[in-house]
Amino acid sequence: MDGKRHPSSFQQLEKLGEGTYATVFKGRNRQTGELVALKEIHLDSEEGTPSTAIREISLMKELKHDNIVALHDVIHTENKLMLVFEYMDGDLKKYMDTSGDRGALKPMVIKSFMYQLLKGIDFCHKNRVLHRDLKPQNLLINSKGALKLGDFGLARAFGIPVNTFSNEVVTLWYRAPDVLLGSRTYNTSIDIWSAGCIMAEMYTGRPLFPGTTNEDQIVRIFRIMGTPTERTWPGLSQFPEYKTTWQMYATQGLQTILPQIDPAGIDLLQRMLQLRPELRTSAHDALQHPWFNDLMQPQQQQHHQPQQPMMQPHRGYQQTVPSQATYDGY
Amino acid sequence: MAFSNRPSDDTFFVESDQPSHRISARDAAKMIARNKQEVLANELSRLACDEYLEDIMQHMRHMEDETLPDANLIDMQREIQWFMRPYLVDFLIEAHAAFSLLPETLFLTVNLLDRYCSKRVVYKQHYQLVGCAALLIAAKYGDKKDRVPQINELNNMCCGLYDAGMFTQMEMHVLNTLDWNIGHPTVDFFTQLIVAEERDSREVEHMAAYICEIALYHRDFVSTKPSIMARASLALARAILLKPEVNDGEWDHTENVTLLTLSQHLHQPSVTLSRKYSNPYYSKVSGKLADFLAQQAAIARRGAPLSPPCETTLSSKANNVYSTPQKGFGSMPGVADGYMTPPITPDGACFGQNGMMKDYQAPPRCPVTPTPQPNHMSAYPQHMVAGPSYYEGTSSHMSY
Repeated sequence: MDGKRHPSSFQQLEKLGEGTYATVFKGRNRQTGELVALKEIHLDSEEGTPSTAIREISLMKELKHDNIVALHDVIHTENKLMLVFEYMDGDLKKYMDTSGDRGALKPMVIKSFMYQLLKGIDFCHKNRVLHRDLKPQNLLINSKGALKLGDFGLARAFGIPVNTFSNEVVTLWYRAPDVLLGSRTYNTSIDIWSAGCIMAEMYTGRPLFPGTTNEDQIVRIFRIMGTPTERTWPGLSQFPEYKTTWQMYATQGLQTILPQIDPAGIDLLQRMLQLRPELRTSAHDALQHPWFNDLMQPQQQQHHQPQQPMMQPHRGYQQTVPSQATYDGY
Repeated sequence: MAFSNRPSDDTFFVESDQPSHRISARDAAKMIARNKQEVLANELSRLACDEYLEDIMQHMRHMEDETLPDANLIDMQREIQWFMRPYLVDFLIEAHAAFSLLPETLFLTVNLLDRYCSKRVVYKQHYQLVGCAALLIAAKYGDKKDRVPQINELNNMCCGLYDAGMFTQMEMHVLNTLDWNIGHPTVDFFTQLIVAEERDSREVEHMAAYICEIALYHRDFVSTKPSIMARASLALARAILLKPEVNDGEWDHTENVTLLTLSQHLHQPSVTLSRKYSNPYYSKVSGKLADFLAQQAAIARRGAPLSPPCETTLSSKANNVYSTPQKGFGSMPGVADGYMTPPITPDGACFGQNGMMKDYQAPPRCPVTPTPQPNHMSAYPQHMVAGPSYYEGTSSHMSY
């Protein structure tokens, strides 16, 4: 990273997205012609460098992996910070909207995306980083079928024993029940719940638990997963958001709500969507799940290769990603 | 559970021995809930441990090497000198406490400071500014947003020494100099692991934290790996508190040397620091350490034949022995007449109270309170202070 590099090394192209603290542009390296994504962060003279930028940049510098969007450079000028990321064609949300069948993707595409998602999560966790904001908008896709984790603005390093964190993390729909119940000592399991929600969403094209408030979100989860009790979840009544007034729902089988998923897929999903965080599977274990067996062959050979050939065996997947896609997954 | 390790804002340095005697039913229920939550947290930790500990440890060991400051490079600084360090560390410890930041934030702050000073020339009038920038970055990295110090608050703590814009400028400069590699496995990370493994008591944990913070004042530990520091400080803490030794495997040469060196730096801890650790929240470990040292001294005195006061020999010896002079050795040239922009050591009166910010605003010139040369040095028998021979080689930087 060369702090002296100038923003003018990049030609700024169209705007890709706008977040609360940053704007993302498509860009082109004037020297190499390489496409990049430029994330511009406005610097406040009162506050200095935003904590989100400090965490995002320092964590992403540690996380070099095929399934995590690469940060090439950080360029600092008087009043803004420009992060130069590898260019991706779009995000999963836009991809589902434009290429899916009313949002739903093909099973083999889903399997490949899930594998790559879990690979990325596993790498984060091995490097003691929680992403904490996994959702389709933050998963970046390119035309080769690669999926990469983006937007580490909410990510943070965790300690062992687990630290206490804010429970204001993860967009509501993908937030784990223990976090919704007020737990502040979550760990890696928080990212797994989000991955489970994303898997279901790729099959149906709609979010699995589209809650409107914290309360509503909890109820929506219980309606499908069943209302837990102190017996099924020891310690439940100690959570700050525990209510004695919850309606008691019976557990619905995931296979009845999601008939389009094969039994092995349902089994994996079930393991990821465990209400009790300590029962939720880990990314490492999930990657060993038999559901991925038919992906393994191309996978194994490419262990030491760049990841792009992953999608090629699946002919069904040649849908191109719209070049005009807007996204803010960086 | 790092958060639970810190007292709430207003209990800092306020000595209150009696916790409220009557605990209401609601508080009791809360306490039970908190305990149950802690059990849950431990369970989660254990799971994360089983699953990822090996990978994480490997990553942390790699990062530990990558982010170790180089004391030899800091030796080459022309303006800033080691005798200035205790003043700055005092200031950082007080600021860290005033903002109720996470324990690891203090260690990260000093690590960032030392890494910066291993890479860039620092003018002495900017030493404190670099410290503030490091504190700011460390807090932004690890603490909750609402705890991160405001720049005007930091500015007030520095008594308006710098323009407000200089803080953001220095912050960016530190970030760029360190190439934005902020993550660093602090001693805390390793301490927590060992404590969980060995089931050490809170008291031992606090004593080890106190020892680790004492170490922040000294050059000898600037380039000591946090994992080694964690192991050595815990072993020392157990010994001081007369807890049984634990069987934690082989100790290599570096670890033994660290342990020995640590044990020789326990005398005359900074007043600021010992006040912090006199709080019941920290099991009042500073008092316990002082008692222990006094006891050791008494034992040694009883054993030794009557001897003339050894003050003179000691202080001359100590000057050679301590590679990082403490405030107490203020007789060195330069300190007595003060240097241009001394980091501030606010006096205890306005410290730790809610009104402290107000107190900081008032004077444009800050009170500098170097601790006077303590006379009780003579209370310690020679062998407690005198270092082993390997010290002699490391005192070259004293010639500044």
